[in-house]
Amino acid sequence: MSSFVIEASGLEKSFGPTRALAGVSLAVRTGESLAIMGASGSGKTTLLHCLAGITLPDAGTVSFLGGTGRVQVNSLGERDRSRLRREAFGFVFQQGLLIPELTAIENVALALMLNGMPRARAEEHSRGWLAALGLAGLEDRRIGQLSGGQAQRVAIARAQVTGASVVFADEPTGALDSATSAEVMGALLHSTVGQGRTLVLVTHDPEVAARCSRIVDVRDGLIVGERMPQPNGAAADPAPVAPPAPAPPAPGATAVPLPAPGGRA
Amino acid sequence: MIGRVAWLLARPGSSGAATLLLPITAFAIVTALLLTVIGGAQSFWRWTDDTAVGYQLLAVIALVLLVVPLASLGGAAARLSARRRDDRLATLRLLGATPATVSALAVIESAMLALVGSAIGIVGYFAIMPGIALVPFRGEPLGIDGVLLPAAVLLVVPLGIVLLAVVSAVLGLRQVVISPLGVRTRQDAPKLSWLRIAIGAAVIVLAFGLMSGLQLAGEASVLFLFLGAAFGGTLAVLNLIGPWVIRLVAQGQAKRATKPAKLLAARSVLESPKAAWRQVSGVAMTSFMAVFAGVGIALIDAMGGSGEMDREGLELITDIRTGILITVIGSFLMVACSVGVNQAAGILDRRELYRSLDMLGMPEPTMDAARRRAVMSPLRITAIGSAVVAAVVMLPLTGITLIVQPLALLVIAGVLAAGIGVVALGLVSTRPMLRRAAESA
Repeated sequence: MSSFVIEASGLEKSFGPTRALAGVSLAVRTGESLAIMGASGSGKTTLLHCLAGITLPDAGTVSFLGGTGRVQVNSLGERDRSRLRREAFGFVFQQGLLIPELTAIENVALALMLNGMPRARAEEHSRGWLAALGLAGLEDRRIGQLSGGQAQRVAIARAQVTGASVVFADEPTGALDSATSAEVMGALLHSTVGQGRTLVLVTHDPEVAARCSRIVDVRDGLIVGERMPQPNGAAADPAPVAPPAPAPPAPGATAVPLPAPGGRA
Repeated sequence: MIGRVAWLLARPGSSGAATLLLPITAFAIVTALLLTVIGGAQSFWRWTDDTAVGYQLLAVIALVLLVVPLASLGGAAARLSARRRDDRLATLRLLGATPATVSALAVIESAMLALVGSAIGIVGYFAIMPGIALVPFRGEPLGIDGVLLPAAVLLVVPLGIVLLAVVSAVLGLRQVVISPLGVRTRQDAPKLSWLRIAIGAAVIVLAFGLMSGLQLAGEASVLFLFLGAAFGGTLAVLNLIGPWVIRLVAQGQAKRATKPAKLLAARSVLESPKAAWRQVSGVAMTSFMAVFAGVGIALIDAMGGSGEMDREGLELITDIRTGILITVIGSFLMVACSVGVNQAAGILDRRELYRSLDMLGMPEPTMDAARRRAVMSPLRITAIGSAVVAAVVMLPLTGITLIVQPLALLVIAGVLAAGIGVVALGLVSTRPMLRRAAESA
């Protein structure tokens, strides 16, 4: 049995006349940090969306290895894919896309509450994650009262708090200055691969990609190259983050049989 | 040049026809309802006999009550039309268009949408007219002749609506400069002082005193003064304490919320209790008036049943009851449309956020429940709260009505419940938009 946490084969996707993916095959190892690089319109975000079960490919397959075995992501229904994303995956977007009217801790706790965890426990657990990411004391601030870097770290906490085994990040540092970008990237790497989890990241920034363990280059909907970054990449990370233990699965969260996320056991 | 660019921008873009059709529909509804309301009120001015003045006075009260939700609906329609051009205008600015060109385009586009919407609204008014003509007053239907407006009014009203759209577009442009999202997210939830509740309570006690002392008023003029002071004072208080109460309740809900939808809804209300109040404040006045006048009418009706009242008096009571029902229904219809339009605008505004929540795995029913609660909770507080305040101000009379005319109170309660249901329908109608926003790639 393969040890790849995600395996994609022959992915094709078109939007109208535009061909975003033209037959991509890719395997992601457990615990690795993979950077998908490419110019605008190369198909890198579509590839990420297909791997995460957000978008269904027109052709090809995506499978995910969870705690209870391998599951074909593209053959799951909308509801089950939504549930897979909620319970097994974490997401960090360019702008954070946090809910502006909620406080930092509520934004993080919401991810656990959606899985059925009682609010008090969800907030207690989220507090630990925020503190681990250097946001202690800012829990009750609304998102608009945080800096871009702080907001992005709240988004990282939200992506990690459920114990997600794979975190997908789409240009997570795209809206940040270079110093803050380095800081956020460090936090992201240490809270994912640093804990044995997997990070799949889309970026067009070579400096960000260089900090990952593997880089694939995408052009015109195809993978055109694969390389290992220079060894000094990940070594430049700031002080490691020591995240709290992952949240145990919430009661009643297993009504539909889905693979338990690998990193949760 | 501006004309040519405006024409290019008017074509539906990648965001679909919804952004174009929604404001047009909203302007059409505003025009149709406004013309219908004016048409109905105008029919009261045909009469020249002694009781006509009483009817005209009541028509003015109904108009005033309906203007509040109508203005809110008109504002929502204008804001919606202003929003749809933001992204395209920003692109134009990047391409080097001068601020004057951008402003001119914004104004032209909003005015065009309002004009098209108003034209459709006039057709809508003619479609509703036969139904309104059947409403009986003074023992006979109002008739087509009664509710048909002169051509001048049919011209002036749409022009007024176009003007509203233009003003809103200009104001909206100023907001775009600050960035609507920035304004929204950086603000602290506004705080309202305890002083409001104190003043509010004092005025309600005073109104209660006035109503209790009604029998002391010897002359009719003093009686009307007492009634007017109690009615006006309490309405003013409702506006004063409405946002405060909504904020207080939402704060409690946010603290106690155990489910994601409840937490999101409460926080969304707390973001701007004043906006939440504005959206439903039309219902507050109508609901208050329905109980205030409804109780009075029920009592007079009960007295009339003893055979002391002439035909004209009985007719007046029936007509006031009809008027109350029409005003309440009209008010709720406008609030429902306003909620629908506001929600549509809100979904367009937050498309990216809804999309990201869908990616995170938040079920669409949870997103839908959150936004529904954010409207329905303040609406229930407002409708029921205002009715209760009116019942308290009229306490002795409410008590008597409950004994002698319980059915009248039940009818009022039923109409309020139906009104809340209509607003809920307005919310449901925007759900497909939410689904599309969440799923859009």
